[in-house]
Amino acid sequence: MNKTLRENAYRYGNLPDPAPLAAAYVPMQKSSEPTYESEKALARGTLFPGLDLPFMNLVNDELASTPLTEMMAIDFVTDEMELYLDTHADDDEAFALYQTFLALKQEARERYVRRCGAVRQEDMLGMQEFAWLKDPWPWDYSPRMGG
Amino acid sequence: MFVYEKKLQYPVKIKNPNPALAKFIISQYGGPDGELGASMRYLSQRYSMPYAELKGLLTDIGTEELGHLEMVAAVIHQLTREMTPEEIKRAGLDTYFVDHTAGVYPTAASGFPWTAASLQVKGDVIADLNEDLAAEQKARVTYDNILRLSDDPDVNNVMRYLREREVVHYQRFGEGLRLAMEKMDQRNIYAINPAFDR
Repeated sequence: MNKTLRENAYRYGNLPDPAPLAAAYVPMQKSSEPTYESEKALARGTLFPGLDLPFMNLVNDELASTPLTEMMAIDFVTDEMELYLDTHADDDEAFALYQTFLALKQEARERYVRRCGAVRQEDMLGMQEFAWLKDPWPWDYSPRMGG
Repeated sequence: MFVYEKKLQYPVKIKNPNPALAKFIISQYGGPDGELGASMRYLSQRYSMPYAELKGLLTDIGTEELGHLEMVAAVIHQLTREMTPEEIKRAGLDTYFVDHTAGVYPTAASGFPWTAASLQVKGDVIADLNEDLAAEQKARVTYDNILRLSDDPDVNNVMRYLREREVVHYQRFGEGLRLAMEKMDQRNIYAINPAFDR
């Protein structure tokens, strides 16, 4: 391995040795580390710097922090970790990180629901009115609405 | 079963309506490499998959694609907000408008309505995963092309996000194919189709 390869080792996965012919091979991602912080992960569309391969090298800025974007960022990390675990079920460190974020996910959704309304049916347990119909619906936006 | 969450995976907040952009971004809703085809492909392929890793992967990625489908719909809905007939004609959206008004309909940018003919469920482990790898690349290129054509920053943030997801899914499908091939006969991975032959 040359110096650049070693410095960016997280960007390079492993191939089988020897590999059978007439088969397509994508290297296995070696580790769930390093990772971006959850809000950066949401902005970039991946938790993993090694997979962050943007068109024309243009990337999104982080979103302004609101209860919604906090919830989205944590949900994003759990979804991204779940895909990683689908192909790395024996990675104990990754599973521990997944557990940590599952706990945070619960808290973030409760914070959002208190401020902004129900995300799922069970969020309406104990509410005083049928809040499901409350605006905003996720696809509606105009600058007049703010946010 | 599926349970709805009243939120998007990534926020869609488009300040300036622009029906000219909606005219081609609609292809990622109902076009040949769009999100509807992606979700149907993966969620349909999972039933014949013999390995848990692939059942999980196709379920989780297929579900995420449904989330992307509603993000693309939100982009179309907001780009076509408060249009006047004059703006519709100027943008060239008149041929869509006459059939769908400002509704969101699954069609390719060319006007061809969504068709299952743009996806395949072969029922063969290696063939289906190779299709999925190709599908992620084609979707990635469609987002590249949208980014070449659009100069709206609110739209492009969403397109860059969705494009990056295709790269991540490509990696995961490649790993899924690796794991599947490792379970097959190492002297001849084409000896049988483990989704059918016992």
